[in-house]
Amino acid sequence: MTPLAREGGIALIVLALLLGAPALFSSPAFEDFIIRLSALALFASSLNLLVGASGMISFGHGMFYGFGAYAFALLMQRTALSLLPAFLLTLGLTALAALLVGGVCIRLKTIYFAFVTLAIQMLFYSVIISWESLTGGDQGLRGGIPRRVIAGLDINHQRHLYQVCALLLVVGLFAMRHITASPFGMTLRMIRDNEARAAFLGIPLWRPKLAVFVLAAVFAALGGVLASLFVSGAYPELADWPISGQAIFAVMLGGIESFLGPLAGSAILLALNDIFTRITEYHGLVQGGVILLFALGLRRGVLDFLRRDRARGEAASR
Amino acid sequence: MDLEALVACFGSLACVVTQTTSGLIVGLLLFLVAAGLTLIFGVLKIVNFAHGTFYMLGAYIAYSVLRASGSYGLAVLAAGAAMAVFGVAFERFLIARVYGGNVLMQLLICYAVVLIFDDLVKLVWGADFHAMGMPDAFQRAPIFIAGGVVPPFYAGLIAVSLCLAALLGLGLGVTRIGKIITAAADNPQMVSALGINTTALFALVFGLGGGLAGLAGALAAPVRSLSPGMGFSVLIESFIITVIGGMGSIAGALLAAIGIGLLRGFGTIGFPLFTDGLIYAAMILVLLLRPSGLFGREMV
Amino acid sequence: MKLEVRHLTKRFGGVAAIDDVTLAFPSGSLSAVIGPNGAGKSTFFNLISGAIRADGGHVLIDGEDITAHGQAAIVRRGLGRAFQVARFFPTMTVRENLMAAVAAHRGQWGDLMRRFPPPGASPRAREIAAMLGLADSSDRVAATLSHGDQKLLDIALALALEPKILLLDEPTAGMGPEERARMIDRVQHVWSEQKLTLVFIEHDMDIVFRIAERIAVLCYGRLLAAGTPAAIRGDPAVIAAYLGTEVLAP
Repeated sequence: MTPLAREGGIALIVLALLLGAPALFSSPAFEDFIIRLSALALFASSLNLLVGASGMISFGHGMFYGFGAYAFALLMQRTALSLLPAFLLTLGLTALAALLVGGVCIRLKTIYFAFVTLAIQMLFYSVIISWESLTGGDQGLRGGIPRRVIAGLDINHQRHLYQVCALLLVVGLFAMRHITASPFGMTLRMIRDNEARAAFLGIPLWRPKLAVFVLAAVFAALGGVLASLFVSGAYPELADWPISGQAIFAVMLGGIESFLGPLAGSAILLALNDIFTRITEYHGLVQGGVILLFALGLRRGVLDFLRRDRARGEAASR
Repeated sequence: MDLEALVACFGSLACVVTQTTSGLIVGLLLFLVAAGLTLIFGVLKIVNFAHGTFYMLGAYIAYSVLRASGSYGLAVLAAGAAMAVFGVAFERFLIARVYGGNVLMQLLICYAVVLIFDDLVKLVWGADFHAMGMPDAFQRAPIFIAGGVVPPFYAGLIAVSLCLAALLGLGLGVTRIGKIITAAADNPQMVSALGINTTALFALVFGLGGGLAGLAGALAAPVRSLSPGMGFSVLIESFIITVIGGMGSIAGALLAAIGIGLLRGFGTIGFPLFTDGLIYAAMILVLLLRPSGLFGREMV
Repeated sequence: MKLEVRHLTKRFGGVAAIDDVTLAFPSGSLSAVIGPNGAGKSTFFNLISGAIRADGGHVLIDGEDITAHGQAAIVRRGLGRAFQVARFFPTMTVRENLMAAVAAHRGQWGDLMRRFPPPGASPRAREIAAMLGLADSSDRVAATLSHGDQKLLDIALALALEPKILLLDEPTAGMGPEERARMIDRVQHVWSEQKLTLVFIEHDMDIVFRIAERIAVLCYGRLLAAGTPAAIRGDPAVIAAYLGTEVLAP
């Protein structure tokens, strides 16, 4: 069986399980969790296309999450487009924005790249705050998302929103997996591993870099659209720096070397947050302690840790 | 956007003086924070995302010492000293464990420290805003320069910050250890080549950076409201300054800090809602023209 | 292919790292570039391969001026190089390294439609690995290879581009005598089999005088002498400035 067929099969099984789950047990809390997870996991995995797959550390990836949410909410509120065209148009607009931003950023190296992405995100955030007539300023875009119907599915119902989110999560992750496993993905890995060597194999570095920047932005916007559906609008927090921080945290928590690391990290992060907010007012204190334990104890993401541990076990038993 | 007000301000000497003064205190305070950041990056290649926490703790410590002793001078010195010690401890116990690791791992550790200390501040001082109030020594009539109002504390703050900047420049330029630090910031390989004790050097640089940030927090406390999380906006702007100046360059940081301070001073008049945006735009512009900042060395 | 440089000049600050060098490497020749440390040898390679821009002069491949070309264009023109500190992709296996290089060379680096490796990359990678004696290490992660094998892998990556001209920057640097002999064997083998124009930088004079057909001597950025080993051995300027008599004793 080819890897493509195997991974496609796994994706289908997982999707079937997710879609069938509500028939077996009805748990609004679980559905709510998956809805929130889908947005964060798509976003974090898209960040890992840059960080893990290409070695391009961005601090400002949240811009495209926010861009997706705002573009989608605006298209739904201000135009008569139905959901699917608005969704596709949002992804297209994000790609355009990313082309512009990426064109500026990819010229810069390492930490300068990281900070210029953050500066551009914060510039975008400032525009959202100050352009009140369009974005509602710091109040955000309220008034809900109208016409929430796709393929006859009314996603005002949490159950239907859950199904749409589960579908997009699995399809999105599968698409990103395919990207990293393609020859293009290998090119990104060459750039991450040794940029000078890649250049001297005749790869015009700016093209794959810009391409992956745009692709990552589009997947981040996909997460942003789901967030917009979930919160019924768009709020400045969706474009603020902690959003980027959260994605970085999820990626690091889960592991940058493992494809599913960001998904695992997102799930752990959301679960920890849910628990901490319930048990203590000082959840920053607890969360900080847990991060330190992870960072100093494992020194890598959970999945990376498990993988390496397993590899070591196999080597020892040989 | 209010360009008319901006033009009007430039037409009035009084307004220029007032805005320049407020711009300068913003810039100089940021410089004290950014100087530590840029040295730490230059020498250790560590991006210290917890630097804003040093600043915040400095402000809170000064607040409490002033309450207890009544002496603002003592409060400032205590904040500086405490944060120097804190900086060394932070480097020894946490950062030293992830040298050579992924920059994101450093980010994660710093982020954890930020979360923890924001909450600790909440526990000790409460979540509400605190105002330190003007120290007694500065409660006197404002100075007027060409019709512009300059509160005496502002004048003192500018003088003290400039002295600190000069002292720092002198210390780095003249003393042996200062020369080692500057040389190391310029060329990290040199340190190991000269057989310098890097453990002590790294701790020292963190202590210096922590002390400066603590001083900045204490100096800012009378004119800022204190709250958990106050370190963050300072952190972001200090980063912008170090990046614009070129990471590792003290001179670049000073120039960038004053520039950003003035941009903020006059930006609030012309673009009241978009002052932050102006600063981000300035950084993007500088990086487009000079990809390694004003005085940064080309990264190969 | 013939490689030529004319009046090539590069300054760093006020110092000329390469100063008005004019030199030709005939098609199919095996040449060495020698000179003391800081003579500008690596800069010379960097200029030829387009890694840095010259301040003056020209680089020509078969008479065509490539001075203004970028690295990628020069690679396509048939020039490959290996580096003083081996450059390769440490997290990939040897096979993946080579397959990725082959894919890049075939213009498939942007292919999103299929899984890696693209068809045909694997047999070609095996050929190249065999040519350099890396076949047995194909499935090892490159970071875990010995120093000598890493240098061989670097050369193998350059060969994946099917170059007509190959620049090797100190292929034997940091090696013990045995590894050194194996490397030189491989280099000679590759050169004769692929009919390359091969230029290498080397400090070991025994190797240089044993295998090179032509030798160019750089000293403080200037070309001191160029010619056959015999001619270089007898060149008074070279003896005075660099070699010292004891090295020249046959």
